[in-house]
Amino acid sequence: MDWASVLYLGVTGGLLAVFILIVLRTCGKRNRSRLEEPKHRMLDDD
Amino acid sequence: METPPYNYAIVRSFIVWSILWGVVAVLVGVLISFQLVEPALNLPPYLTYGRLRPLHTNAGIYGWGIGSFFALFYYMVQRLCRTPLWSDGLARFQLWLFNATIITAAVTLLLGYTTSKEYHELEWPVDIMVVVLWVVFSVNIIMTIVRRREEQMYISLWYMMAALVGVAVLYLVNAAEVPVSLFKSYSAYAGTNDANVQWWFGHNAVAMVLTAPPLAVFYYFLPKSTGVPIFSHRISIIAFWSLVFMYLWTGAHHLLWTPVPDWVQTLAMAFSIMLIAPSWGSVFNGYLSMNGQWHQMRENYLVKFLILGITFYGLQTLQGPSQAIRTFSAFIHYTEWVPGHVHMGAMGWVSMVLFAAIYYLVPRLYDRELYSIPLANLHFWLVLIGQLVYSVSMWIAGLQQAGMWHALNSDGSLTYTFMETLVEMYPYWWIRAIGGVIYLAGVLVFIYNLVRTARSGKPAADAVAA
Repeated sequence: MDWASVLYLGVTGGLLAVFILIVLRTCGKRNRSRLEEPKHRMLDDD
Repeated sequence: METPPYNYAIVRSFIVWSILWGVVAVLVGVLISFQLVEPALNLPPYLTYGRLRPLHTNAGIYGWGIGSFFALFYYMVQRLCRTPLWSDGLARFQLWLFNATIITAAVTLLLGYTTSKEYHELEWPVDIMVVVLWVVFSVNIIMTIVRRREEQMYISLWYMMAALVGVAVLYLVNAAEVPVSLFKSYSAYAGTNDANVQWWFGHNAVAMVLTAPPLAVFYYFLPKSTGVPIFSHRISIIAFWSLVFMYLWTGAHHLLWTPVPDWVQTLAMAFSIMLIAPSWGSVFNGYLSMNGQWHQMRENYLVKFLILGITFYGLQTLQGPSQAIRTFSAFIHYTEWVPGHVHMGAMGWVSMVLFAAIYYLVPRLYDRELYSIPLANLHFWLVLIGQLVYSVSMWIAGLQQAGMWHALNSDGSLTYTFMETLVEMYPYWWIRAIGGVIYLAGVLVFIYNLVRTARSGKPAADAVAA
């Protein structure tokens, strides 16, 4: 495997890891109510 | 809390200009649909199908689509951040530059100046105008978000930022070219690489112009129209990041069965199928937001546009990945099926959502009640029927065309000549043109309703008192 392929796979793996972290954080019980707040707040701006 | 001095004048101006360019796009679209069935309507050299077709797509995507997104982003960012625009002067400059760019694009395309790259036809001087325009817009939106008075960002802001960054990257990379004269340049890439970069741009322009911004608009205007929040903000966040992670790999599905490396094609095919999940995450989020509110489909004309819009998005994001599968692509690629698919997205998904948002805004921006709800309903049915007539006729045409192209005699020779397959398309092209006329009628009803609202609609305060 050449360096270009290693870099390609590395970037892909890195992006996947970041994506998984975002999903875990979003789904976590600790953040549940806090992450739902904006949908109520956006209706209060009138 | 005291209401900040929001800038609505710029929102109004962008709405007016985007509608004007939208009418140009539909009018030219109808004209070129008739040119296909009646070649005498081609008036060389400037008004031929070959020159008018890019004018149609550029006016539709960049004039109507992006012009409306400029208006709606400027409205949403102020409301969601509870702060005025970072720079009113920059926004006014952007309005003038936007119109100058669209006019320059239209003139140069009719004169025959083109890079020949689909959806990126504009030559390098116009490219520079586009880049300045986008930088000015992005700086204004991002600086407004930076100065926001809300701690958390609503999902629409995330989609807006993705569009700003995504379009910038895509446009700059695909615009890399070597100018040889004032209106002629050659791509910085060659052969297969050029094709790969072009369709990485082409398909992700669909993502960052025709998916992320309309989703920002949908997530804002659906709850505003129904009066109830979206079903789940967390699902919208996961769908957003999934979409961003997966979309950028899919462009090569436009290049199946070409000299592009096989693994690149397979990667694009796999990610295209995976994209169904985040796309339908937004569709389900929209449908579930209507729990207990489905009666509004009868009572609220805005909801009709929005729910039909997200439904067409759902259908589009099932049909698109299907087309990205090698075997299916081999059958329908290069046939009339493809414009049927594209126009379900443009006329169904994107435009339906934009119509709803503009209907929501115009009465508020002019402090008037909408002139006529029955006319808004008539507009809805005309554009729905027009779009269905267009898309369904093209899907049937595409299947017949593909079947005829692939038909073989027992000795292995082709059953039909290309001319025979072309002649068979004429009835479908007539039906498509009629569909376009119905859609155009709907757009004219829309404009009439808005003009009457702005000029002679009942003042909102009177309507409340009554």
